[in-house]
Amino acid sequence: MDSKEQPEKRIGEQPSLQMEKVLDKVREEPTHLNYWNVYKRIQQLDLTSLNVPDEKRVKVALLSSFTVDPLGMYLDVKCRLVQLDPEIYVAPFNQYQQEILDENSGLYAFKPDVIVLAVQADVLVNENFYSDFVKLSDVGQYQTEILDRIQAILSTLSARTDALILVNNFMVPPFTPLGILDNKAECGFRSFFYELNQKLADLYKESSQVYVVNLEAAAGKHGKSRCLDPKLYYRGSLLFSESFLPVIADEYMGYIKALKNLTRKCIVLDLDNVMWGGIIGEDGIEGIQLGNDSPGNAYKDFQRTLLSYYNRGVLLAVNSKNNPEDAMKAIREHPHMLLREKHFAAMKINWQNKVQNMIELAKEINIGLDSMVFMDDNPREREQMKQSLPQVLVVEMPASPFLYRQTLESMNDFNLLALTEEDKKRGEMYHARKQRKELRESIGSLEDFLKSLEMKIVIKQADDLGLPRIVRMVNKTNQFNLTSRRYTDSEIRKMKELGNEFEVYGLQVSDRLGDEGIVGVAIVRKEPEVWILDSFLLSCRVIGRKVETAFLAAIVADAKKEGVSMVVGEYIPTQKNSPVKNFYSSHGFEKLSREGDLYRWKLDLSKQSVKMPEWMDVKHE
Amino acid sequence: MSSSTDKKLKTILAKVLLIDEAKISDELSRKTVKEWDSMAHLMLVSEIESVFEVTMDDDDIMEIQTVADIKKTLQKLGITA
Repeated sequence: MDSKEQPEKRIGEQPSLQMEKVLDKVREEPTHLNYWNVYKRIQQLDLTSLNVPDEKRVKVALLSSFTVDPLGMYLDVKCRLVQLDPEIYVAPFNQYQQEILDENSGLYAFKPDVIVLAVQADVLVNENFYSDFVKLSDVGQYQTEILDRIQAILSTLSARTDALILVNNFMVPPFTPLGILDNKAECGFRSFFYELNQKLADLYKESSQVYVVNLEAAAGKHGKSRCLDPKLYYRGSLLFSESFLPVIADEYMGYIKALKNLTRKCIVLDLDNVMWGGIIGEDGIEGIQLGNDSPGNAYKDFQRTLLSYYNRGVLLAVNSKNNPEDAMKAIREHPHMLLREKHFAAMKINWQNKVQNMIELAKEINIGLDSMVFMDDNPREREQMKQSLPQVLVVEMPASPFLYRQTLESMNDFNLLALTEEDKKRGEMYHARKQRKELRESIGSLEDFLKSLEMKIVIKQADDLGLPRIVRMVNKTNQFNLTSRRYTDSEIRKMKELGNEFEVYGLQVSDRLGDEGIVGVAIVRKEPEVWILDSFLLSCRVIGRKVETAFLAAIVADAKKEGVSMVVGEYIPTQKNSPVKNFYSSHGFEKLSREGDLYRWKLDLSKQSVKMPEWMDVKHE
Repeated sequence: MSSSTDKKLKTILAKVLLIDEAKISDELSRKTVKEWDSMAHLMLVSEIESVFEVTMDDDDIMEIQTVADIKKTLQKLGITA
């Protein structure tokens, strides 16, 4: 064939392959020296030919009262390890205030997506604060002073940028001049910082832009005496020791992953030697280790953490090589099982290849493989999974079950920037879905089935309560999404404020088996005489129940009410949204125009409308 | 300087300054190696100190210009053959 094309393509691939090779070094041995080396080598690679999609790019600015270059290095490498393409801006040493106050600073020119603000408490109060603390009469005044200064900085910052702002709280000093009397004093030295941290967190509890990073907790976890290396601190103003840098970087990565939609939704678990000790097929229900004695208590504790994640909205599933009868007996009847059938969104217990099981689980639960985590004690199964399905996050399980819980608890892959009501109910929703599926199989016609569900839908304009969920859907929905346009939280808030120009709709669905919460979003751009459907998307879990028709019908009815003559539906095909290809044509829309990838369909309201499915109970607010 | 000391030092220098171990000589200098900036210098010192379990004098650290200088400073701290 054409011999010219191939080499060109290869050149294009080379930098990413080189990058992976360089990164292997920190994958294999994540030492500080290797992070340094890998970071420097990546800087030398020519990455200009890398074709990085926008959703993988992230710009992080670091503002600090101390030297943070090494933190930038860790964030850069850690971003690349999760296939992000980072750009890091480190503000000049201790110039965070100037950078924030000066509109023409490097910070604003950089246009960051994430801003990390790391300021020590000492620099916010006067020099003698530490030494004179015990003599101070009104320490509360100092807390106010510190908080006022942070608030002033942050309000300027948030007025000038839409970036996600991560502000560190303060490390409670391990030392107190009051010694054993710290808790007896009216305000002890340590109490001063505990209170300060609480007040700081309270200030930004409601903010969807500013997040207070719990440096104190991260330092506690790592061990405060190991967080600072005096040599590096005094010689180079480096506040974080080599061993603490990856820990605090992971803390920030939790936010960055959430922002860049790298959140994992489902933990897929092996059974033998993961959920319990031993092999159910050989040891039997009496023989497996699960209970209140060692090592059974470690497995039970691991299940407890899984259950706490389930209650927060992380899905659980099973992928195990076993006789289904043996395994189900243990899951249903073992007195110490904390996780039962109802906690699993799907289960594959059979003798087929686990990779195949994984693909089927993703399909059954209807989430992407890139939302899944795999936990298996067998290194061979893990290796096979990694090689066959690189999108799946395969956890390096420790050899000892005593460390299972810790391994799970130290992951930063389940974070969301906001927790919605839908999240907390997700596990139950999936259980209802399983029941719905069974019902569908038992009832002949689709219409009879839909009628039997007694569906209720509510269509309303986005309010603050539903907004986090709406933002997430806009950024996450791939399949039933007409244009796949992504908008940030602040962009959608702005649209809501511009009520004359935009309409942001949310769709809620429930039936007799359960409440699905908000499962649809539509954004309308209002022009004189014309409503344009800028975005229209639905969660896959309600597809096939005519919900999309009801949603469209309600919006068209609204347009009519406002006296608009035409509704225009926009459609941009992607690799994933083929299910919506005929959406507009099947609802009576006619072809209007095409500009590159953007197709426009029109509905002339003087002649046509969209009929509301009759069996649905529709509430329009 | 013992061969194992020499080997350890070379590994650090190679990784911090992105130089092939074979190309590391006593004459290697801050003036000629572009990567050997002040952050790299701090990194070098900190790695050497932790690997050899010593603390260098701040004045000595400032004066280090070449690999030979590093070895001299280490010798002062009793790291020899």
